[in-house]
Amino acid sequence: MASVPNEIDNTWNRPGERAPLITGGHDFTSLTDVACGPAETYRPPRAWYIAFTISVVLLAILGASIGYLIINGVGVWGVNNPTGWGFAIINFVFWVGIGHAGTLISAILFLFRQKWRTSINRFAEAMTIFAVMCAGIFPGIHVGRIWVTYWMGPLPNQMAMWPNFRSPLLWDVFAVGTYATVSLLFWYVGMIPDLATFRDRSKNKIRRFIYGLFAMGWTGSSRHWHRFERAYLILAALATPLVLSVHSVVSFDFAVSQLPGWHTTIFPPYFVAGAIFGGFAMVVTLALPAREMFGLKNIITLRHLENCCKIILLTGTIVGYAYLMEFFISWYGGNQYESFIFRARALGPYAWAYWTMITCNVLAPQLFWFKWCRTNLWVMFIVVMMVNVGMWFERFVIVVTSLSQDFLPSSWHYYVPTAIDWLTLAGSFGLFFTMFLLFCRFLPMVAMAEVKTVMPHADAHAHVPASRSFDYNPDDFEPEQEQK
Amino acid sequence: MSGVKTDSPNATAGRLEGLLVEFDSPTALVAAAEQIRDAGYRRWDTHTPFPVHGIDEAMGIRPTRLPFIVFLLGFIGCIGGLVLQWWTNATGASDFPGLPTFLQGYNYLISGKPEFSLPANIPVIFETTVLLAAFAAVFGMLAMNNLPKHHTALFASERFRRVTTDRFFVYVDAADAKFDEGQTTSFLGGLGGSQPEAIHDIASSPSALPGGLKVSTLILISLLFIPPLVIARARVAKSNEPRIHIIQDMDNQERFKAQQAASAFFADGRASRPQPEGTVARGDLRFDTHYYEGKIGGEYATTYPEQVTINEQFIRRGQERFNVYCAPCHGLGGAGNGTVNATALRLETAGWIAPTSLHDQLARSRPLGHIYNSISNGIRSMPPYGDQISPTDRWAIVSYIRALQFSQQADLDDVPPEVRPELR
Amino acid sequence: MCRRKCDPNCVRNKQETQQPNNMTAHTPDKQAVTAESQPLSNGAASVSRIALVIGAIGLIVGVVFGFRDGWEVFFRSYLLNYSYVLSIALGALFFVMLQHLTRAGWSVGIRRLAEFIAGTIPVLGVFFIPLLIPIFQGMAGVYEWSNAEIVAEDELLQHKASYLNAPFFVARCAVYFIIWSLLARYFLRKSLAQDATGDPKLTLDMMWWSAPGMLLYALTVTFFAVDALMSLNPHWFSTIWGVYYFSGALVGFFSLLAIVMHVVRNSQRMGQLLTREHFHDVGKLAFGFVVFWAYIAFSQYMLIWYANIPEETVWFQPRQADNWWIGVSLLLLFGHFVAPFLALVSRYPKRRSGLLVIAAGWLLLMHWLDLYYIVIPSGHAVAEHAAPLHVSDIALFVGLGGVFVAAFTRPMARHALAPQRDPWLHESLTFENV
Repeated sequence: MASVPNEIDNTWNRPGERAPLITGGHDFTSLTDVACGPAETYRPPRAWYIAFTISVVLLAILGASIGYLIINGVGVWGVNNPTGWGFAIINFVFWVGIGHAGTLISAILFLFRQKWRTSINRFAEAMTIFAVMCAGIFPGIHVGRIWVTYWMGPLPNQMAMWPNFRSPLLWDVFAVGTYATVSLLFWYVGMIPDLATFRDRSKNKIRRFIYGLFAMGWTGSSRHWHRFERAYLILAALATPLVLSVHSVVSFDFAVSQLPGWHTTIFPPYFVAGAIFGGFAMVVTLALPAREMFGLKNIITLRHLENCCKIILLTGTIVGYAYLMEFFISWYGGNQYESFIFRARALGPYAWAYWTMITCNVLAPQLFWFKWCRTNLWVMFIVVMMVNVGMWFERFVIVVTSLSQDFLPSSWHYYVPTAIDWLTLAGSFGLFFTMFLLFCRFLPMVAMAEVKTVMPHADAHAHVPASRSFDYNPDDFEPEQEQK
Repeated sequence: MSGVKTDSPNATAGRLEGLLVEFDSPTALVAAAEQIRDAGYRRWDTHTPFPVHGIDEAMGIRPTRLPFIVFLLGFIGCIGGLVLQWWTNATGASDFPGLPTFLQGYNYLISGKPEFSLPANIPVIFETTVLLAAFAAVFGMLAMNNLPKHHTALFASERFRRVTTDRFFVYVDAADAKFDEGQTTSFLGGLGGSQPEAIHDIASSPSALPGGLKVSTLILISLLFIPPLVIARARVAKSNEPRIHIIQDMDNQERFKAQQAASAFFADGRASRPQPEGTVARGDLRFDTHYYEGKIGGEYATTYPEQVTINEQFIRRGQERFNVYCAPCHGLGGAGNGTVNATALRLETAGWIAPTSLHDQLARSRPLGHIYNSISNGIRSMPPYGDQISPTDRWAIVSYIRALQFSQQADLDDVPPEVRPELR
Repeated sequence: MCRRKCDPNCVRNKQETQQPNNMTAHTPDKQAVTAESQPLSNGAASVSRIALVIGAIGLIVGVVFGFRDGWEVFFRSYLLNYSYVLSIALGALFFVMLQHLTRAGWSVGIRRLAEFIAGTIPVLGVFFIPLLIPIFQGMAGVYEWSNAEIVAEDELLQHKASYLNAPFFVARCAVYFIIWSLLARYFLRKSLAQDATGDPKLTLDMMWWSAPGMLLYALTVTFFAVDALMSLNPHWFSTIWGVYYFSGALVGFFSLLAIVMHVVRNSQRMGQLLTREHFHDVGKLAFGFVVFWAYIAFSQYMLIWYANIPEETVWFQPRQADNWWIGVSLLLLFGHFVAPFLALVSRYPKRRSGLLVIAAGWLLLMHWLDLYYIVIPSGHAVAEHAAPLHVSDIALFVGLGGVFVAAFTRPMARHALAPQRDPWLHESLTFENV
C-alpha cells in the first residue's frame, strides 16, 4: 500500500489555483474505463479473493453466534445487573455512527460545494448502507424474542396496543428506519446514471439485462438530468439534517435518562461529531486498500485522502472539546454523582478503556496537524485504525462505566463480555466487509457521472476565468514550502 | 452483444422514430442545442454522460416543479407524524367510541410524561417529514421523467451506447410538428456533429425484455398472493383445532405440577430452593412489638402505638372494618348478637359458644393491647384475623370497640348539647 | 452545486440579466472591480458619525434610567445588549476564519465586510469594562456569585468559587478579548496589506493561522458564554451552552451581513462583486444557522424537559412561569425558527436582496430576543421586581448598537470594500449556484 513513489502529489496549495482532482491525464473515456474496471474484469485481484474469504468466514461466525443466541437467550452475553446494556448497544451505536459518514460526506459536502466529494461519495454511501445493516442487527437481536420485533412499529392490532412514542428507543426505530431508507434512495438515485454506463458497456446479454433493469432506462436525457439534479439536491438537503437527527436520537437513548455520565445536554452534537469522525476514519480505512487494489489512485488521489484527514482532525478535536466540556461541567455543576462518574472513568476500573479512547480519538488525530502525516499513507492508516478502535471504545466507556457503577454501590458489578459477545462483534465486521467487497465487484464504486463534471473537459462554456486578466499570475508564483 | 447483428440499425425495417446526431464535446453540444431551440423544435432532447452546465438554458428547459411536490409531501409527513402519535398515545377507547379495536388509541401514562408530550414527539415528526419528502423527491423525479422504462427506441443505435461514457447526442423526435425527414436531416447535419442517424422502431432490440420474462413475472406475482390469501381466510374461518405454534415461546416448558411426586429441577426433588435460615421478607421484620403485637416488654399495652393517630376519621375506619369483620358474630353494637350467632342458635348448632359481649365487665377492663392481640391471634374459639386485617386497621377496630364500650356507659353529660334533642 | 451543474434557473437568470440593475456576474475586469470596491468615503463616514451620536444618546438615556431605577437593571440591560453586539462580531470572526480554513473562493467578494464587522472586537473590548463594576460591587442582581454574602450561605457557590470569582473572571475575559482582538486584527491587516501588494503569500499566512485560530476561537467563545451568560444563574449548568451562544451569534451575523451587503450595493458599490449568487449563499447560511440554532435549542430543552431534574429545570422554570415569558418563549419558537424557516426555505427570497433583508432584519430582532430571554429572567433579585421589559433594554440596544455600527462603518470609509487582489477573487465573481 505504501508504494508512495507512484503517487502524484496534488496536495499543493497555490492561492488562486485549484489542484486537479483527477490526476493522470484522464479524459472521459479513460476515466470510465478505469472506474468500470473492477466490475468488468473477469478475475478480480487475488487480494479481493483473500479478503472475501476472510469476510465470509466472519459472516458465518455472525450467523452462528446469532443462532446460538436465539436458541439460548441473552444469557449467553456478558450483560449483568446493573450493566444491562452491553455489547449490543455499543455495537449498534458504533455501526450506526460509521453509517453516518457516507450520507454526510455525500450530502453535506455536496451542499458545501466540495468538488472532491465526487471521488469518494459512492463507496462512502455504500459503506453507510452496510454499516446501517450491521447496526440494525443489534437492536433486533437484543430483544430476546426476535420474531416479535415488528411490535416496534405502529401496526394496528387486536389489543389496541401501540408503541410508546415517548420512549427514545422508539424514536430510534423511526430515525434509523428513515435513515436507512433515505440513504438507500440517495445511494441508488445517484447510482442510476452509472448503472446505465454499466448497462451500455456490458458485453453480454445477461449483464445488460440486469444492469438495464436497475438503470431504469436512463438515457442521459438533459430533461431528465434537470429533474434528477434537483431531486439530488433536495435529497442532499434532506439527508443533512437527517444525519444530524439520527445520531442525536441515538444520543437521546442515553441523554434523556438521569444516569450520571449520560444525561448531559451536549450529547446530541457531540454524538454527531463523533459519528462523522468515526465514519471518515472508516472511509479512509476502506479507501486506502480499495484504491490500491483496483487501481483508482488517480481518482481517489492523495488530495482526497488529505482532505479526509483534515476532517478527521477537525471532528476529532470537536469530540475532544465535548470530552472537555463534560469534564468541566461535571465539576462546575457540583453534582457529586456526576463528578464521581467522571473521576471513575479516568481513574476507576475502566480507566484502561478511557485512556485508550482518549489516545485514539483525541491524541492520535492531532498528528494530522502536520502535512507529512496527512500525506503519508502508513501514518494515515495507523491513525484511522486507532480512530476506529477509539470510537468503539468511546461507546464502551459511555455505556459501561455509567451502568456498572450506578447510584447503589452495593450493586456495582464489573462487566466482562463473553466470547459470544466478541464473536458477534467480529461477525458484524464480516457482514460489513462481505457486502462491501461484493459492492466493489458488481456495482459502480466511483460516481463516474459526477466525477466527469469536475473534470476540466466538462466545462461547456470553456471560458478561461477572468483571473488571467488580474495582476496575479499563478505561474509566476513559486509554491511555498509548507509552513511549520 | 453476443449474437446480435448491430452493424446498421437503419437497415432494419420499421417506423422512423427520430434522428440522432453525435457530438464529441459539451461545448459543441450546447452550441447545437441553442440552434435547435431557436429553430423552434419542441420534441427533442440532448443526451449526455453527465449534467452539462448551461444546457438547460441552451435548450430552454423550464425549472421543475419538483420542490413544490417535496414541500407538500413533507408537510403531510409532518402532520401525519403528529397525528399518529397523538392518536396512538393520547386518545383512548372512550374518546372515539365505536371504532374497531385495532384502530383505537391506547392512552396511558408513563415516565411522568403527559399523554400528549409534544417535545417527545418532535423526533418522530421530523423523521416522518423527511421520509415522505424524500419519497416525493425520488419517486416524483422518476415519475416526471417517465421512468422506469426498460427499453427505448434509442437503444437500437449502437453508437448511442457511448452516451453514458463520453459522447454527447441530440435526438429530434419524428413526432415534432416541425419534423420533416429531409429538411431536418440536412439541418441537423449542419450543426457540426456526426451525420444524423435515423432511429427506427424495431421489434427485436437488444435491450428489449426477453419474451418469457413478462409471463414468468406475472406468474410469480400471482403466486405471491397465495400466502396472504390463506392468512386472510384463516382470520375469518372457525376451527376446533388448537392454533399452530410456529414459535413455541414459553408454551411448552418444564414445570412442577401439583401432586407431582418430585421435580426434576433440583437433585432434592424440590421445584424451588428453600429460603435460608433466618430470612425475613422485606417489610416483615416487625421489630416494633407495640404496633405489631400490642405488647410492650411482654405486657399488654395500655396505649396506642405512635404509628396511629386517634381522630374521628380513624375511628370511623375502625367502625367500617368492625362492621365487616367483627359484626357478623359480635353484632353491630358489640353485644354478641350478630347474625352468625343468631343463625347458629336457630339451627341449634352443637357446641356453639356464643360470642362474648364487648360490654361485659371483663371485656371493658382488658387493656388495648389485649383486644389487639385477640383480633390478631384469636381467643378461645374466635379465629385469628391478623392475616386479613392490617395492623393499622386492627388498631382502628380497637379504637372503635373502645368507643362502643363508652357509648353503652355514657350519661347525658357526655352527649354534646346540640345533639341532645335527637335523643328520645 | 459544486459540480458545475446546469442551473435550472438559467432561464430565470437570463431574464435577470436583462434587468437594468444587473445582479448577475459577467466576465469581470480588474479596473471595474477596483473601481467599484472603492471606499465609501463620504457615505460610510457620515453613517459612522450619525451612528455614534445616536449610540451616545442611547447610552446616556440608559445611564439616566440607571440613576432612576437602580444599577442592577442598568447592568442587566447592558449585558444583554453587549452580548448581542459582541455575538455578531464573533460570528464575523468565525466566518472570516472559516473562509480561509476552507480556502473558499465564492466568498472572497464579501469577506472584507465580515472583516470590518469582526474588526470591531477591540472596540467592543473596551465596552466590556463597565461590566466589571457589578462584579466588583458584588451586585447580586447581576452576578449572584460576585456577592460575598450570598456565597457565604450557599454551599454550591462556595464549591464554584474557585472558578467564579472576580479576579479569575477578569483574567479569563482579558484572555478572551486579547485572543479575539489579535485574530480579528490579524485577518483584517493581512487582507488590507494584500490590497496594496497583491502578494499571494499573505493568503497562505491567513490560511495557516485560520486552523489554530479556530481552535482558540471555539474554546474562548465557549468559556465566554459560560462566564458571561451561564453564570448569571450560577446554580445551573448545561454542556451545550457554548454551542447555543455560537449558533445564535451566527444567525445574527449572517443577517447583518445580508443587510450590509444590500446597503453597500444600493450605495452604487460592488455591483459585480455582490451578485444574486452571494445573496443566495448568505441567505442559505442564515437559513442553515436558523435550523442549527433550533437544533441546539431543542436538544437543550428536550433533554432537560425529559429528565426533569430540578437542578436543571430551574433555568426554564421562570421562563415558563408567567404569561409574558411564555409569550417570549413561543415567539422565539415561531419567530426564531418556524417563520424564518418557511420564509427562507425557497430559493426565491434568498436571491432577492430586498426580500432577504426583510428576513434578515427580523432575524436580527429575534437574535436580540434570544439573548433577552437568556439574560433577563436569570438570577434572583432583579427578575422579581423589575418590569420584564425595561426602557434601558431598548436605550442600551440603541446605545451599544450605535457604537457597533459606528465601529464597523468607520473603516468602510477608508479601506476598499473588497479584497481587490485576493488570488481567488475570480471565483467569487464567476460562481453560480445550482
